[in-house]
Amino acid sequence: MRATLRAVSLAFAFVVASAIGTARETFSRDADHDYDAPTPGSYRLPVIKVAPDGAVLDSNGKGERLRDVFRGRVTVLSFIYTRCAAPKACPYATGVLSQLHRASLEDTELAKNLRLVSLSFDPEYDTPQRLATYAEGVNGESAGCEWRFATTKSHGELDSILKGYDQAVDRRSNPNDPQGPLYHILRVFLIDREGRIRNIYSSGTLDPRLVIADVKTLLLETTKLSKQ
Amino acid sequence: MKRSLVSLLAVCAFAFSVGLLRADETCSSPYLARIDGQEEFVYVWTLGVEGLGDGNDKLVTIDVKPGSPNYGKVVSTTSVDGRNEAHHAGFTDDRHQLWLAGLDTSRIFIFDVYSDPAKPKFVKTIDKFAETTGGAMGPHGAYPLPGRMLIPCLSNAKDKGGKTALVEYSNDGNYIATHWLPTKDDAGGAANADLADGYGYDARVLPRKNALLTSSFTGWNNYMRNLGELMGDSEAMKHFGSTMVMWDFHTRQPKKIFQVPGAPLEIRWAWDPKHNYAFTASALTSKLWLVYADDKGEWQAKDVAPIGEAKGGVLPVDISLSADDKTLFVASFLDGKCRVFDVSDPQKPKQIYEKQIGKQVNMVSQSWDGKRLYLTSSLLAKWDKAGADNEQFLRAYAWDGKELKPQFDLDFTALKLGRAHQMLFGSSKLGPNRVVASN
Repeated sequence: MRATLRAVSLAFAFVVASAIGTARETFSRDADHDYDAPTPGSYRLPVIKVAPDGAVLDSNGKGERLRDVFRGRVTVLSFIYTRCAAPKACPYATGVLSQLHRASLEDTELAKNLRLVSLSFDPEYDTPQRLATYAEGVNGESAGCEWRFATTKSHGELDSILKGYDQAVDRRSNPNDPQGPLYHILRVFLIDREGRIRNIYSSGTLDPRLVIADVKTLLLETTKLSKQ
Repeated sequence: MKRSLVSLLAVCAFAFSVGLLRADETCSSPYLARIDGQEEFVYVWTLGVEGLGDGNDKLVTIDVKPGSPNYGKVVSTTSVDGRNEAHHAGFTDDRHQLWLAGLDTSRIFIFDVYSDPAKPKFVKTIDKFAETTGGAMGPHGAYPLPGRMLIPCLSNAKDKGGKTALVEYSNDGNYIATHWLPTKDDAGGAANADLADGYGYDARVLPRKNALLTSSFTGWNNYMRNLGELMGDSEAMKHFGSTMVMWDFHTRQPKKIFQVPGAPLEIRWAWDPKHNYAFTASALTSKLWLVYADDKGEWQAKDVAPIGEAKGGVLPVDISLSADDKTLFVASFLDGKCRVFDVSDPQKPKQIYEKQIGKQVNMVSQSWDGKRLYLTSSLLAKWDKAGADNEQFLRAYAWDGKELKPQFDLDFTALKLGRAHQMLFGSSKLGPNRVVASN
């Protein structure tokens, strides 16, 4: 049974990896993102609100608080579930995080200051063990920026986090839906070093060029403040 | 093996796109969760009328489920506090909440339409809008963006004229930012700064081009004034917007200002992934305008067709573009007509049909499959016609590509509801947003 679960996890991770493999290797305009990215620091990212806290488990099963996870770096937080097979949902979001991670391999500023967090909203299936397997499938690199994978102990802990982040998740009427058993709005959050949400991405705005411009805008903001 | 998995993903993407063939309204934000199947309810944000029913503005819910015993009937009404000049409204991107804006009081009423779509439940009011936003007033509507609402305004608290702003609130009702429309003195680096008038009305996004387009109307001093008096005041009539602005959506910075005389109102971006254009209608000059990317990718604006005879009194107010970008429905307040244009060639629209809807008509909403249209009557409390011409209704039609056939008719005066204004569609079955579905 356990071997079967591992095989299923690896299969989903492989689907995600395949999606990543087909994504753009370079950050250029394409038909879905047909515009030039802005220059970092040439615009403002207003504070939306304090990023809600909550209790999570890392992929080793160790308990931690989100506020501690966010500390010290600019964080890109993506809500996912590993059984998702909707091509423009979790596989796409994880693909973009993978692109950000790859960018950080060649950009020391990102490597030192960026953190990626993939947080599951499917705690029954996405156990720490399964997330560890998933992480292995989508991110084999030890270099580059941090990329953490987390889940929750129970729905009780998950629900308060989802409510705090206004992340809608519903069960599909068909549990065997080929796109996965859960329906959700794609949400990815940009969180500054002070733990405040500064942008919310969804389909259409989750463009790695925009996310990098936003991350660097926040880093420049920190630099400007430290010079004052 | 890898190629076969990529093929599988392509099949999944195709299966996803098939969902597009289902019904939903065509004027919504691409970030909005779509209705899976046919709309079940029409929500009407309704202006209260003194002495009619409780006299308050209210959210009216009509059952439009085919075969329902309540089809075409009001199934719930919830009144809000007082009369606020109810105008436009919008769902949050997850379609869980409906935000209803009041042009006079600048209050926004938030309803839960998710727990029970047949019976929306009042959640809370956003008050102190002008104080919170740094002086913006007259929230015109609420346009869903990821996790937040974009609220284009019509006026300002300082002089109640047309200089105004775009305002953002988070989905949980927290103020985020105010972006003032460009003026000659502060055009924010936009091209054609000398055209800038600072007026606002609608705001719509084309995600793949990172394009935010805004239009322009008039301020509180004019929209809260009797229309007859206003039209006789030549000085006041100078204070209408005559511009549209293209913004960099991500940075919220204005990039180019277009001269579009005569109050360009509703903006409708085309849906096809290769169609880089939007339509609008100028109310006072009665023309269809096209904002489009030219061969070099530069945004341009030009008028492409007249809407009736402007001198005869038309005042086009709302437009609805079909999901296949081929048909445009235009509702005109003064003559009470719905005109239908073939816009297969967006540069050369051709009127193919018109129908008298009533003595006055304002909003038109279309199902995603283009088979059903709903029209309402009220423009503004002080602009609506008087006496027998002041019909207040929701009228539903079927469209077969050739003519509009009546389905049901609700008399909002006889039902003691008020003035029927904007319509939005509700359902218990939701799916992904249009950005997802279009990829």
